[in-house]
Amino acid sequence: MTRALTIGTGLLLAAVLGMGAYLYSLRRNEQARVQNLPDTRPISAPIMGPASRVTLYLAYDDPGVVRAQEASIALPADPGERGREILRALVGEYVKRPSAHELPAGADVKDVFLVDANTAVVDTTAALAEGHRSGVFVETLTVVSLVKTLTANLPGITRVKILVDGKERETLAGHADLECFYDVVTVEQLLEQLR
Amino acid sequence: MAALLLVLLASAPSAEEKQLSIYGPRVSYSLPVSEHEGQDYVALLEALEPFGNVSARAEGAKWKLRFNKLEAEFRQDTSVGKVAGRKFGLPGRFVLENGRGLVPLRALPAILGLMLATRTEYHEAGRRLFLGGVATHFTTDPRENGLRLNFSAPVNPLISTEPGKLKMSFTRDAVVANANILRLENPLVSSITFSESNGEAELVVLGRVPLLAQFAADRRAIEIVPAPSEAPSAPPAAVAGTAPPATAPGTAPAAGTVPAAVAVPPPPTLQSLTAKPAFVVMLDAGHGGDDRGALLSETLEEKGVTLAFARRLRSELQGRGIGVVMSRDADVTVAVEQRAAMADAARVSVYLSLHAASQGRGVRVYTAMINSVSGKPGGFVPWDTAQARYVLSSRALADLVKAELLKHEIPSSQLSAPVKPLNNVASAALAVEVAPSGADVSSVSAGVYQQRIAAAIAEAVVVGRARVEAER
Repeated sequence: MTRALTIGTGLLLAAVLGMGAYLYSLRRNEQARVQNLPDTRPISAPIMGPASRVTLYLAYDDPGVVRAQEASIALPADPGERGREILRALVGEYVKRPSAHELPAGADVKDVFLVDANTAVVDTTAALAEGHRSGVFVETLTVVSLVKTLTANLPGITRVKILVDGKERETLAGHADLECFYDVVTVEQLLEQLR
Repeated sequence: MAALLLVLLASAPSAEEKQLSIYGPRVSYSLPVSEHEGQDYVALLEALEPFGNVSARAEGAKWKLRFNKLEAEFRQDTSVGKVAGRKFGLPGRFVLENGRGLVPLRALPAILGLMLATRTEYHEAGRRLFLGGVATHFTTDPRENGLRLNFSAPVNPLISTEPGKLKMSFTRDAVVANANILRLENPLVSSITFSESNGEAELVVLGRVPLLAQFAADRRAIEIVPAPSEAPSAPPAAVAGTAPPATAPGTAPAAGTVPAAVAVPPPPTLQSLTAKPAFVVMLDAGHGGDDRGALLSETLEEKGVTLAFARRLRSELQGRGIGVVMSRDADVTVAVEQRAAMADAARVSVYLSLHAASQGRGVRVYTAMINSVSGKPGGFVPWDTAQARYVLSSRALADLVKAELLKHEIPSSQLSAPVKPLNNVASAALAVEVAPSGADVSSVSAGVYQQRIAAAIAEAVVVGRARVEAER
């Protein structure tokens, strides 16, 4: 009885080990097959075009101002893509360390959509809002900097809406309204107070 | 019409609300009193807030409070706890309500005495608590054409008039008297009675002729003089001592004095009530509950700082005779849009959204980023642009707040900003962001600092009241 039980247990153990080895080899073969497949994912077009002079409106937490600064960046021809690249350059200044107005790592602008001749919608990454410092003033600086930089470089745009990861969000980090459309006139008035 | 009247009545502060007034050497304030099993109770954390850093946390049925380096500990529904390391018996059960620890009012003098290491004197009938021997005494000084009351400290009473009678209510002033009635051999005044009730002291001056009260410039004296003969005799009407001065028809204020009593308006009718609702300020303590707001330091959350500040501001406004409603008075979640809806439904005169920040210095005052629209509002107001008709009034009030803050030597700036939900409020609306007074972030929650800011804002509201009311 004991001998039969020992033999049975040994056989079962050998079967389990054999199945494990077989599954492992199957997995390795599949990984090798997938790696050897041709990469059919679309790649984004490289930014083509000569370097252009743009104006970035950079926020400074201390002393709490927004100042214009010239920059030279390569811009594509499409106005929406131009807007995106300009805002990416702006946010890039804030992601650097040290920065006068720090934004969290991963903060970026995903897209800028031109809805009509006057209206733009900016889609930012989730990291920009999720990791943003909370406070009326710091959030206001970020919003004003984004909106003014976009409208200053895309003539005709007078209304801007900000999305986070493709979705509408109530506030940036608890204070600044992201459900409204920002009007260039009121942003300009605030900018006067922040100069 | 009936619904409108109900809203108006609901928005006005109830005359029956119980309150306790606490007078300290540096601050005076009032706290709401609630009833539990027939006893008066107060929130212990709120009572200590003006004196330093205080925090509390509930762990199940246990409630622990930390004030500076001292601790108090109580357990829900029991009457024995610990205060400053000593066993402490309460004259009733400890009540834990929405995370707030409430103690029987009769125990508060002893608890504050232990926590603040100071002498306390409690006037139970009047619900007035005096700390550190603070008291404002007064004397009478007969004059050729009247009577002068001299006070040992500046006072700011709410004064109401009746034919032949002046009533002065002191909520923020620690006025005390040695006798309850003082009979005078004076051609103008026959007697002065002193009484205390519901956190207030009241002096009633009985005159032989209609009377008028005037403050001396330093507010340490009140001159009682005969009312001008052309002043109309009318039913009682309350006038705040700090209200913009107005004079009876045909009279001019005496040099060096600020008239406190004014021509008495006709009694309010239903028509006048509906035309001009009560002047009420809504204090919206930012964040709360699940939304902690900014983390100002490792231990300091914005939601707690804004609530403490809102309570101080409430006390300052009420002390100046202004009705207050709060969007929250505990650590509860209130949706942002719900706050604006509450303000609009209550038809408040002024909406103040309160925030705190760790960056910068002093106070930043914000108005909505919206273009103004002229004309009087009528009928429905668009939700997204409800503030448009009031934004000029908001900016004028923001100017006054900034000016008062500077008078109190508190750095301040005024900006427009996209603060949620200012655009949705159909009344004068500001957001106030309190930043530290210096390099130490924890100063943003310091009682004395917050009290100075609250006093400045309350003064600005009093000064700006006439304009706000005119534009409603």
